Amino acid sequence: MCETESPNVQVVLNIPELLAQLEDDRALLGELLEIFKEECPPLLRSLAEAVSGKDARVVERTSHNLKGMLSTLSAPRATSAASQLEQMGRTGEMSGCRGTLTILEAEVVSLLVELENCLETAEQ
Amino acid sequence: MKILIADDERLSRHLLQKTLERAGYEVTAVENGRLAAEHLCRLDGPRLALLDWVMPELDGPEVCRLVRQQRKQVHVHIVLLTSKESKKDVVVGLESGADDYLIKPCDPEELKARLRTGLRILQLEDKLVEAREDMRFKATHDSLTSLLNRGAVMELLSRELVRTRREKASITILLGDVDHFKQVNDTYGHAVGDEVLREVAKRLLSSARSYDLVGRYGGEEFLIVLNNSDARYALARAEQIRNAVARLPVQTTRGPLAVTMSLGVLASGTEGPCSVEDILYEIDMALYAAKAAGRNCSKLVEPKFACAEPAAT
Repeated sequence: MCETESPNVQVVLNIPELLAQLEDDRALLGELLEIFKEECPPLLRSLAEAVSGKDARVVERTSHNLKGMLSTLSAPRATSAASQLEQMGRTGEMSGCRGTLTILEAEVVSLLVELENCLETAEQ
Repeated sequence: MKILIADDERLSRHLLQKTLERAGYEVTAVENGRLAAEHLCRLDGPRLALLDWVMPELDGPEVCRLVRQQRKQVHVHIVLLTSKESKKDVVVGLESGADDYLIKPCDPEELKARLRTGLRILQLEDKLVEAREDMRFKATHDSLTSLLNRGAVMELLSRELVRTRREKASITILLGDVDHFKQVNDTYGHAVGDEVLREVAKRLLSSARSYDLVGRYGGEEFLIVLNNSDARYALARAEQIRNAVARLPVQTTRGPLAVTMSLGVLASGTEGPCSVEDILYEIDMALYAAKAAGRNCSKLVEPKFACAEPAAT
C-alpha cells in the first residue's frame, strides 16, 4: 500500500511525500504517530467545544494547530478541512463549522488507520 | 553548529529537530516565542534559528524584531516558517528582520540547503569581524613590540587623567628611555636593536598590572601609566620596573646585552588643569634629570613642576 499511492491524488495520506519528509526514517514515523495520538484528541475536543460555543478565536487557533500537524503528516484532505475551519474562525463566519468539523473528525480517523497500516508495512 | 527551533506544534518541532540533528546540528527546541527570544538574545546563544510564524507569547516576527534590537554584536540568521504564502505576509516577515522564510511543511533537502546558505553568511560575517579587529589592533598597536602605539596610549592617558580627576584618585605616569640605545644600533645593527626593544617591551608588560597602560612613545621611549597607584610609592614602583628591565641581560642573536633604562616619574599631580602635553613635558624634564644623574635610575618630577589649582585671585 505504501508504494501504490500517487502524490497527485487527494488521498487521506500522501505516503511518498511523508516518507520524503522523514527521509525514509521509519522509526521517526512511529514517533510522530505516537505524538499525533497524544496531541490530536484533546485538540479535537477543544475544537468541538469551541464550535458548540461559537468561540471563533479558539476555533481559529485550534484549527491552525491541527492544520500544522496534519500538513506535516502529509494528510491533504484533513489539512484542507482544518484550514477551512481556521478560515471560518478568522472571519467569524461559523455557519459551516459543524459540518466541516464532522468531516475533519472522520478524516482523522481514516488517517490514523492509514498511518498504522503504513507503519506496519514499513516494519515488515 | 547550534540552531534554535521554535514551534508550538510538537509534531512539527520533533520532525524538525530529528531532521537537523541527523544533519549534524546541535539543536535546542522550544515551544514559544518568549523562550526563543531568551535563547537567541544570550551572548553565547545560537546564531541560526528556525522560527514558526504563529506562536504563543511572541510570534516569529516579534522574536525577530527583539533579537535584532538586543543582539547587535553578532548576526543571527533567522528563517521564518510559515503556512502563510501571500506576498504581503512574506514582506512583513522579512521587514521584521528575518533573513529567509520557508513554507511549512518544508522539504528536508531545501531546509538544509537554506541553512547552509545561512552558515555561509555567518562565516562571511565572522571573517569580516576578524579583519576589522585585526585592523583595529594594527591601528592602535606598535608593529614591532605589539604595545599600544603613541596615538593610542596618549588617548588612553588623556581619558585616565579625566577619570582620575573626576574620582579624585591617584595616578603615576612613567616615561622610560633605554640607555645608550643608539650604541646598540650602531654596534650590532638595527635588527638587534629591534630585538632589544621587543624584549624591553615584554619586561615592561610583565611588570605592569593588567589595568595599567604600557605604550611605545617613540623610538626607544616607553610610556607607562599606573592607574590608582598611591603617590607615596610612585618612585618605588618606577624602581621595580627599572629593575625588571635591567635585572638580566637581553639575549640577542649577537649574544647577551646588558640593557638599562632611565625613567621620569610623575605621581598624581592631576589636581590642576594640566594638559597631557604639559604633564609629558614635566616628565620629560625628570627623565633628562635621570639621564644627567648617570642613567639607569628614576627621577620624580620636581614639586615646582607639579600641576596645581590656579591660585585664587
